[in-house]
Amino acid sequence: MIIVNYIASIILIVLGLYAVCTKKNLIKVVLGLGIVDYGVNMLIVSLGFNDGGTAPIYQMSDLLNGVAPHFFVDPVPQALTLTSIVIGACVDAMALSLVIMIYRKYKSINADDVRRLHG
Amino acid sequence: MIILRSLFYILIFPGALFTACFGLFLTGVDRKVVARMQHRIGPPLRQPMYDFFKLLGKETIIPHAANKIAFLGAPIIGFVSLALIMLFIPVGGLTAFSGNADMIVILYLITIPGVALIVGGSSSGSPYAGIGISREMVTMMAYELPFVLVLLAVARKAGGSELAFSMEKVAEWQAANGNMLFQWSMIPAAIAMLLVVPAEVGTQPFDVAEAETEICEGPLIEYSGSALGMFKLNTAMKMFVMSGLFVSLFLGGIRTGFAVCDVIVFILLCIVVTIICMSTTHAVTARLKIEHLFKFYWTFVAGMALCSLILVWCGL
Amino acid sequence: MIQHFPVLAVMLLFLGAFCVEIFGSNNAGIRNTIAMLAATIALVLIYALIKPVMIDGEIISSWMGNWAPVSGYAIGIGYEVDALSLFFALLVVTTFWLSGVYSMSYMAKDHHLGHYYTLYLMLSGSVLGLVMTGDVFNMFVMVEIMTFASVALTAFRNENEGTLEAGFKYLVIGSMGSSFTLTGIALIYGQCHTLNMAQISAQLCTGMTPTTIMAFALIVAGFGVKSYIVPFHTPAADAYMVAPTSVSMIFSGMVNKAGVYGMIRVLYIIFRAMDKSSVQMLVVIFGAVTMFIGVTMALAQHDFKRLLAFHSISQIGYVITAIGLGSALGITGGLFHAMNHTLFKGLLFLTAGAVLYATGTTNLDKLGGLSKKMPKTCICFLIGAFSISGLPPFNGFVSKWLVYQATYTKAVESGNFVYAIVTVVALIVSVMTLASFIKVTQAVFFGQLPAELKKTQEAPASMLVPMYIMSALCVLCGIFYPIVNKYLLHPATEATLNVTNYIDRMMGDGYAAMMGAQNIEVAPVQFSYWNPIVWLILFVVIFIAAFIVITGSKSSRGQILNPGVKYDPKYATFFSGEEELFSQVGGSDLFWGFKTDWKGYYKVLEGLHSGIVTDYAGWTVMATAIITICMFIFMR
Repeated sequence: MIIVNYIASIILIVLGLYAVCTKKNLIKVVLGLGIVDYGVNMLIVSLGFNDGGTAPIYQMSDLLNGVAPHFFVDPVPQALTLTSIVIGACVDAMALSLVIMIYRKYKSINADDVRRLHG
Repeated sequence: MIILRSLFYILIFPGALFTACFGLFLTGVDRKVVARMQHRIGPPLRQPMYDFFKLLGKETIIPHAANKIAFLGAPIIGFVSLALIMLFIPVGGLTAFSGNADMIVILYLITIPGVALIVGGSSSGSPYAGIGISREMVTMMAYELPFVLVLLAVARKAGGSELAFSMEKVAEWQAANGNMLFQWSMIPAAIAMLLVVPAEVGTQPFDVAEAETEICEGPLIEYSGSALGMFKLNTAMKMFVMSGLFVSLFLGGIRTGFAVCDVIVFILLCIVVTIICMSTTHAVTARLKIEHLFKFYWTFVAGMALCSLILVWCGL
Repeated sequence: MIQHFPVLAVMLLFLGAFCVEIFGSNNAGIRNTIAMLAATIALVLIYALIKPVMIDGEIISSWMGNWAPVSGYAIGIGYEVDALSLFFALLVVTTFWLSGVYSMSYMAKDHHLGHYYTLYLMLSGSVLGLVMTGDVFNMFVMVEIMTFASVALTAFRNENEGTLEAGFKYLVIGSMGSSFTLTGIALIYGQCHTLNMAQISAQLCTGMTPTTIMAFALIVAGFGVKSYIVPFHTPAADAYMVAPTSVSMIFSGMVNKAGVYGMIRVLYIIFRAMDKSSVQMLVVIFGAVTMFIGVTMALAQHDFKRLLAFHSISQIGYVITAIGLGSALGITGGLFHAMNHTLFKGLLFLTAGAVLYATGTTNLDKLGGLSKKMPKTCICFLIGAFSISGLPPFNGFVSKWLVYQATYTKAVESGNFVYAIVTVVALIVSVMTLASFIKVTQAVFFGQLPAELKKTQEAPASMLVPMYIMSALCVLCGIFYPIVNKYLLHPATEATLNVTNYIDRMMGDGYAAMMGAQNIEVAPVQFSYWNPIVWLILFVVIFIAAFIVITGSKSSRGQILNPGVKYDPKYATFFSGEEELFSQVGGSDLFWGFKTDWKGYYKVLEGLHSGIVTDYAGWTVMATAIITICMFIFMR
């Protein structure tokens, strides 16, 4: 349980939300979304940490000789993080492709101009 | 046996025939009283009945822009729902059908004649009808709020901590504790209801939906013949139903012991209510504009009903 | 065998999605066949689960890869279908099957239909997986697939006006919601060291720590974003408007029900927070605000589909209000209204799509008089409009009635005046809904036919058949509501209020008792109105009245207007001497009197719906912050 990691991930999440809520350039908004995702990923990985643990991989020599396994970190959050990284990559890809097409159509990527649907 | 009795209730008393006859009679009384107040003689009391039968003999012209099924079906739906409402209102202590939550049923059924008028007007395809139905809908939105608040206040008063939404329970409460009108916390609610009744019926000063001088009777502009007669009958029945509702909610505690006398007392009270809230205001006021009407109902009338609701909820 | 049906249904849909792209991207016949085959098989598999789950009361559970729990710890992903899940799964399969039939001819003129059907099948599979899974991270993954497929489908017709920006806004807000959900799930995992919903629920019996309260608030906010309650509703208004209509129907019928399902699961099953009156009040207030803002914004709209979108938001407000009451009556009313909403809102969107297909526009000012050219669509629309306004005998009346009954019973039991105000607000919103649909009826179907629309035709048969099916269901559910209650709603309500069965089935019997949870007996709900004899006699009265009106006098009919033919002026509409083309009443200006009185309110609201994506994101963050603070105060 490392405090520094948690504080850093919360700072990243807050920074990302700040970028989404205040920046007017659409690419900066997408970057903000990405930063939120990275903050959440760091939080998940840090949750699985056990002090003094090693990587959660069984050694063949240990299994054959019947030695008790070492003290692991939790492998489940690592799996969750992998899934989340992939999802984050897909979100960024889709968002950026939408921004490219918005630029072609609206000739601007300022959020104040991309507002034909309102009211 | 029970089917025959239900048929009697729905068709004769207090259903279609009773409501229709006395509704037309009440309309006649209203016209006569207004005329006398305006220093005229006025038509005979049976004039609306003559009008109805005259209209039945005229030709119904359906304009080519109109949707025939909706055009002819709308007055029928209005008539049926009005006949049904009367079954839930205790006429002199007798209720034809009573359940646990009559007031909500009545609330729903009362919106149906308004919707029927709107659908009929809308289907006739005329722009005057379009304006008329928009005003009718805004009027409905305006008076629903105070109406709901008044019903909630009466239900809470009559039922104590379990809200009594059944009209029969309200009648019993009034027979036991005196008329609702004489409880001082219900007087604002009574005033609010007296102002809701003319808006529902559509008499002046709240008849902006059927403004004869501006939009040529609004939704009814393309109607003629028996369909128009049916709509006029609906208005007459609505007058009787609404004043009957007021009488049963606020003045329903008077019992003479004979069923026929109770019914006669009920009708007399309906006539008094009509004269007070519909004829008098008709004769002395001018028509309100739609935005004034909406503001009036959502500020003054709803405020009165809310006063009553808060007083009753606090236990007074 | 039957326990594999849920997983089979979901996997078949995903497999169908891939097959459509591989085999059918050029050939319309193969593509349609694969899509409808996958949808139909999924439909059959889910309907086959009604008997064991709803009628016999079992709970179907299967662990993927046979990783059953080991010494009381869940180590695999489990699919658990109880009555609540099956209720929503039935809605989901019916909606996407009908949408598939509809899109056969609706989308026939578009390009890249291979992508469309792939995305449609993935969206369907993901929502089906969401409602049937028993693992909280699996739910998150399904939510993400749903978001992607929705965004891509929203922006599908990217040559149209506004589709791209609607897709972008949906992606930003939806992705924020998903991030909140993921943070909540991570925190829950950190506290409970398990991802299985049943086990989490059992472990949380002992009490809530600050970590779990934060997780609770974040997950509720995340699912609130998915169910589009105010103030998370902003992408919904845009997305429903620009998506192809078969997709709009899926959005309003399936996707926001997935959000509602998520909220019910989180509030009732996992965290069991609904016995605290403060949490109930919070949810009810959110629901009431959603109802009111949704309907008032809808009254001011100029576009048919955007108006329907705001009404969707408002009706989900009804569902959330009813669910937030915490009583059996409230849950029954909420679930019934969710089901009815899927039916009548789907029907309304399908009619809007038919109008768009036939005329090419959904602008209320440009349409009019279509009941002559599209009579069947008009009838279906009127059935949908009367259902949503809550007129008897349609299904909207019964479910709204249950919601009113639930709120005033709660007001009486708790003595709290706020619930009485909520009842009044619900009734007013119902009247305003009626007003809004009168406006649309007048603007689109009745009223005057503009010159450019003289050549419109009725919608093709494969678009009419789903409309007929949905109208029939609306009417039947309204008339036969006791059957619906007995077979669908009562089991689902019991499943919501009884967590012990859910936990025991997944983790082995006795687990729940070990953790200290108890069983609750749910009495069946009483419907208290109308004597059915009244219905039979009603027809007699109708016949008499009809006899007077129709045959009592001779009636004559003008012919349909033909251009160039001189017609009898007796049958002309009265314009008091003005020319017809100068006398049109614009459909969207119909309630100007109402809008004048509410000028200040509309100025504020329309200013807040500015269309700028950063503003909408700001609302989302603020609302999440409010929910978090409230939960910390209430759940201590």
